Amino acid sequence: MLIKRSERQARHGTLAAAFANQTSGNLDRRTFLRRSGLAAGGLAAIGALPLTSVRKAEAAGSSPGPGATIRKNICTHCSVGCTVIAEVENGVWVGQEPAWDSPINRGSHCAKGAATREVVHGDRRLKYPMKLVNGQWNKISWDTAINEIGDKLMEIRAKSGSDSVYWLGSAKFTNEGSYLNRKLAAFWGTNNSDHQARICHSTTVAGVANTWGYGAMTNSYTDIRNSKTLFFLGGNPAEAHPVSLQHLLEGKELNRANFIVADPRLTRTAAHATEYMRLRPGTDIPVLWGMLWHIFKNGWEDKEFIAQRVYGMDDIRKEVEKWTPEEVERVSGVPGEQLKRVAEMFAKDKPSCLIWAMGQTQHTVGTANVRASCILLLATGNVGGPGKGANIFRGHTNVQGATDLGLDIVTLPLYYGLVEGAWRHWSRVWEVDYQWFVDRFDKTTAVDGKVTTTMNTPGIPSTRWYEAAIPTKDPKDNVSQKDNLKAMFVMGHGGNTVARMPEVVKGIEKLDLLVVADPHPTTWAVLSERKDGTYLLPVATSYETSGSRTASNRAIQWGEQIVKPIFESKDDNEIMYLLAKKLGFADLMFKNIKVENNVPVVEDVLREINRGGWSTGYCGQSPERLKLHMANQKSFDMRTQKATSGPDEIRGDYYGLPWPCWGTPEFRHPGTPLLYNTNLSIKEGGGTFRARFGVERVIDSKVMENGQEVTKQVRHNLLAEGSYSKDSELKDGYPEFTLGVLKKLGWDTDLTPAELAVIQKVNPTTPDAVSWSIDLSGGIQRVAITHGCIPYGNGKARANAFGLPDAIPTHREPIYTSRPELVAKYPTLPNARQFRMPNVGFDMQKAAVDQGLAKQFPLILSSGRLVEYEGGGEETRSNKWLAELQQDMFIEINPDDAGPRGVKDGAWVWVTGAEGGAKARMKALVTERVGKGVTWCPFHFAGWYQGVDQRGKYPKGADPVVLGESVNTLTTYGYDPVTGMQEPKATLCQIKAA
Amino acid sequence: MARMKFLCDADRCIECNACVTACKNEHEVPWGINRRRVVTINDGKPGERSVSMACMHCTDAPCAAVCPVNCFYTTADAVVLHSKDLCIGCGYCFYACPFGAPQYPKVGNFGSRGKMDKCTYCAGGPEADGSVAEYEKYGANRLAEGKLPLCAEMCSTKSLLAGDGDIIASIYKERVVKRGYGSGAWGWKTAYKESIAS
Amino acid sequence: MTGILARARFIIGALLLLFVVAIVAPVSAQQPTRVNPTESSVKEDQLLQQMQIINGRGSLPDAKSYNLEQPAGRDWRAFQDVTLPWIGAIAILGMLALLVVFYLIRGMVKIENGRSGRLVVRFNTFERFTHWMTATCFITLAISGLNIAFGKSLLLPLLGAEAFSGWSQWAKYAHNYLSFPFTIGVVVILLIWVANNIPNQIDIEWLKRGGGIAGHDHPPAEKFNGGQKGIYWIVVIGGTTSAITGYLLMFPFYGTGIAGMQTAQMIHGVVAMLFVAAMLAHIYIGTIGMEGAFEAMSEGTVDENWAKQHHSLWLDEVKNKAPSGATPRATPAE
Repeated sequence: MLIKRSERQARHGTLAAAFANQTSGNLDRRTFLRRSGLAAGGLAAIGALPLTSVRKAEAAGSSPGPGATIRKNICTHCSVGCTVIAEVENGVWVGQEPAWDSPINRGSHCAKGAATREVVHGDRRLKYPMKLVNGQWNKISWDTAINEIGDKLMEIRAKSGSDSVYWLGSAKFTNEGSYLNRKLAAFWGTNNSDHQARICHSTTVAGVANTWGYGAMTNSYTDIRNSKTLFFLGGNPAEAHPVSLQHLLEGKELNRANFIVADPRLTRTAAHATEYMRLRPGTDIPVLWGMLWHIFKNGWEDKEFIAQRVYGMDDIRKEVEKWTPEEVERVSGVPGEQLKRVAEMFAKDKPSCLIWAMGQTQHTVGTANVRASCILLLATGNVGGPGKGANIFRGHTNVQGATDLGLDIVTLPLYYGLVEGAWRHWSRVWEVDYQWFVDRFDKTTAVDGKVTTTMNTPGIPSTRWYEAAIPTKDPKDNVSQKDNLKAMFVMGHGGNTVARMPEVVKGIEKLDLLVVADPHPTTWAVLSERKDGTYLLPVATSYETSGSRTASNRAIQWGEQIVKPIFESKDDNEIMYLLAKKLGFADLMFKNIKVENNVPVVEDVLREINRGGWSTGYCGQSPERLKLHMANQKSFDMRTQKATSGPDEIRGDYYGLPWPCWGTPEFRHPGTPLLYNTNLSIKEGGGTFRARFGVERVIDSKVMENGQEVTKQVRHNLLAEGSYSKDSELKDGYPEFTLGVLKKLGWDTDLTPAELAVIQKVNPTTPDAVSWSIDLSGGIQRVAITHGCIPYGNGKARANAFGLPDAIPTHREPIYTSRPELVAKYPTLPNARQFRMPNVGFDMQKAAVDQGLAKQFPLILSSGRLVEYEGGGEETRSNKWLAELQQDMFIEINPDDAGPRGVKDGAWVWVTGAEGGAKARMKALVTERVGKGVTWCPFHFAGWYQGVDQRGKYPKGADPVVLGESVNTLTTYGYDPVTGMQEPKATLCQIKAA
Repeated sequence: MARMKFLCDADRCIECNACVTACKNEHEVPWGINRRRVVTINDGKPGERSVSMACMHCTDAPCAAVCPVNCFYTTADAVVLHSKDLCIGCGYCFYACPFGAPQYPKVGNFGSRGKMDKCTYCAGGPEADGSVAEYEKYGANRLAEGKLPLCAEMCSTKSLLAGDGDIIASIYKERVVKRGYGSGAWGWKTAYKESIAS
Repeated sequence: MTGILARARFIIGALLLLFVVAIVAPVSAQQPTRVNPTESSVKEDQLLQQMQIINGRGSLPDAKSYNLEQPAGRDWRAFQDVTLPWIGAIAILGMLALLVVFYLIRGMVKIENGRSGRLVVRFNTFERFTHWMTATCFITLAISGLNIAFGKSLLLPLLGAEAFSGWSQWAKYAHNYLSFPFTIGVVVILLIWVANNIPNQIDIEWLKRGGGIAGHDHPPAEKFNGGQKGIYWIVVIGGTTSAITGYLLMFPFYGTGIAGMQTAQMIHGVVAMLFVAAMLAHIYIGTIGMEGAFEAMSEGTVDENWAKQHHSLWLDEVKNKAPSGATPRATPAE
């Protein structure tokens, strides 16, 4: 029968008592209607209906019985940012209620969100620190763990240098945790600090930021309700972001919108499409260029928008001309008629938006893919307004925040980069001497005697960390740092998320020290044959810690600790503090952060972020403002996300103060719900494209002059022309603001003496050079915005992103392509050294073609997400409510491919990968979801490796309920040159019945 | 009194299974028992639709009609409930149910059926509302707390509607008008002997 | 019967669907240029017309959860609530009425020449054990089975919900557990008496002459006369059918789906009702219907005159086998 927890008795016992005296009473009408799922605005239609009631009891809303407290946190399983309402009694999370007041999820959840309570109370959690001794897991104390780990780290540092320790962080961190993790790496002295964004949206961030300024979703999930055409290219939000579908499907209904899904699979999202377009994995650019071909040919482009706000569209035209309907169909398989129809809808039924996730990003051409997507938006004028934009759906609660806060190998927090100026900026914020950091980094002496540090060099991408752990045969191929990686410190990051797992296993075995700090042991704990030097630290889940989280729409929500960390878990912040203390820099690192009982005060951490977060507008979201938003969720309108009621302090704010939220908290900027929206004044959340790439571009070009060829410098204006945001005093493009610019405009007099003093302090020698992003007073931002101008300048978006490997996005076949005959025309980029290591994609592609691998492995293998699980899946596969729904790893195969192979639906098969004889045993799902020649696997499984069940290798009682083969055992080489993104979306495999 | 019904708007259902886990969460339903489930018709083909299904709390419920021990009863809100004290686990309700709602834990010998378990519309059972005994046998009694079934309340796309039949039908009709086509109120004809014009 | 009609509809529907799929298949192999999943969404009404069960794909291991709708339950319900009780009532009450009328007209069939005092062994211990084990099981199964069909209307008002449910629970256990010895009994009965129960010309003659029950004629019969052979085959076939259909219900979803189980239950119910009715006749004739019959199964012996009257050929056979002149089992009569 039903098993129940004693805690629940208490809840229901008290509830029963609470209602014992109420014999009648009607459910409040509004609540009832809302609970019936009625959309706002529909009340009139049913006004005449009699109000019926349930048996008894007053409308309870979310109110618990006496004794139960309500706590709000944010669901960790994707980036939509659903509020989770927890009922807590006696320190136990006893119930979950719909969060009706959230303007994002309005009570809804998906399978994962509705099961989060089990994440906290699940009995499969790691319960205490453990250490691997001679292949056996032994329980140890926290003190022992921190001491031993710290000593080992110091030993490795002394011998191999600071860069031989890799700090792998997590998108499950709060903003404060992410920031501390990046800070920890900085204080330790390495840029080897990364997190899940590397494998999900690193290419988006790079590509989109290089196009118009910031690498984030321009609009929001709720804004998509305004779109008339939704174009999904490389995303399956029905399974990956289910609650977003509430807005997308309602938008589709209300606007009778075009709902166009282009995907190799007929996904659950595609099932709701008004137009479904099947393409071959890895041919996004041909499809996008094919659409633009029609758009340019028919003159459907937005000429005014292009002229005013876009740079380099003519260069795109030249590339697009090559992509005739015939060529697009030859390469991608999309029929010409359909492509034309889709192009016309996208260009004419405006506003149109483009939605994508990892279908575009996880390719060697990931950065180029997202750039091409942006260019389609720019060409049709679909950026910077309601219903438009690049709606980039990210994957974790705080993957946006963790990215923003610099858990990244190429930047310090908030995209300041790794240049000296960036280090100096953060040194000032942290109040630590710049030289101290220089001394923390490894030095290398070049042949000419010049000493360089790795301080300004991007670190190793997490997709390739294992290569850096294994010494290469040829020393020149080895990693460009003092020594190989010797230690991995992994916090909240699965081990099965990186491609080429057989190689990863070798890397894990090479390490001297492996620390896994996670609520679960994760694949890291079981994958290799390590016998020693491995520690597992039990970490609280995000629900057991307070702090802010940034959803995909850049809105920041404050989540409060629901229950204290269970078992012997500690939260991320405490572990990082203990470690910093052990490593000897806690006093410096936490100089301006109060620490209570070894736990850093998160509000102080956020205030420090505010003090340094000018570049991205992370400066206005004080903990007080965020908490007030959370407490008054119902004051925010779901459609506009704007507070229309509630206390004065939030009135007019956009929910979660989506960044950029300019100036100091006192400046009360409302946040920016839509990026680059010139129809709003800056102080109300408007914006322009960021003048990030200079004022003009100077190109040497050869021209004929007086019958002679001469080289002339041609100047291209990179600032907007005739386009500016509402209320701007400058009626044209303008560069980013510095004190010098303010002076030229005569606006510097608006600065207060206090602000001027701070600016002077930032750069005492040339204060005029102090820009809006390093002015710690916020004065420059304040003055610019007061004059209706955006601090970062008013520039053009770049269709031609000069400086990137493919300034004009160019189609390149996957490394392991199913169409080797296309490689000659569309080869991958030449080999090059990137991120301290060689990228030999070109050689790999050539070898694959020469060896005829496409014949031996005739099926395309792609991977993606299931609704029940998330990421590496350890947490969700340990949740019995979710695990019951997906009990086996499987591979989708088309009936036409299954038949000749004797593969039956539900039967076991062996899948072999194209590299190194990798194999995996899983079940076949014979379905027409995938087209002929394409197979697809979910990427959440682990715990089986090449046919062997590894359950016995987990610490007792901490093994997930469901185990299975990881698809990444089969995935292969291939890295985006800009970010090191892997290519698990398009590789090859073969299947045979087991 | 209200006439409680479920309505799954198939045009909105995306098979996210929130209804399934919300139910597990609210009632601590053990592994192997699924009071609610989502089925996808025409999977992988254009025209694919998913529908969330549980006990529909039928008008003139067949389960109640065929039960040899009369363990079913209908509440004033037209919710079809049963008494696990009276149920003998014969399985007849499963044969009669058009929606496959009744579930039986496998107990004891040769996998025979234990007491039947099914969706209670979050309305508990015959025991006192909100009592421990009620919770243990049937799960939470949200209706008595003035709340509707959690599966519908947490539905990701507001596809699954629960509440008074007239109200949810009017919500659905409003949607049909807005989007210009219906998706069929799956199961209504069978359960309630009525259909909503679409 | 509605159920069978429904099955037929299902099969035709499935065939039709296959046909449609077969036509569509070559088209979908090429990529159509207009794919609008929303426009082409499946419709409940169409599916219900095409087939009896709407099923699809789910992610739970339990395949029966993939059945979304099976309105056939309504047909089954009608059968269960209306048809079966009528069949049962007519068969059982009809049989009882018939027997009462018969008894009133004919009375007990006497041993015409009185008891001879000489006993003939008719059934050995093993045969009797088998008979009584099977019979006891049958009676329990019948009562507990009838309880499922009629208890709600007849017993529940008398006992009240709790007591009736408690009794029914035990009755269910008894029904489930006693099915095993019953089934074994049926199998043994089949084996030990099958040789004596092959119908032949004598049985036809016997039947033509009304079996000697209607009048005062005594057609010759072997060990088992035509009527007894009929009962034998009713037991064997009825028992086997009930057992098979019963086990399908007892082990749900092993070897059959919901439709199969509905059919199995219908067969089980009808066969059981008729079986009970037939057994009432058997019990009647073996007890108050005929003098000297009951002792055949209680003692294992019958009076020679009884044997002569009802099973003349068998008696001859027994005498021929026995040592010449000897009387069968010279047990002196009292």
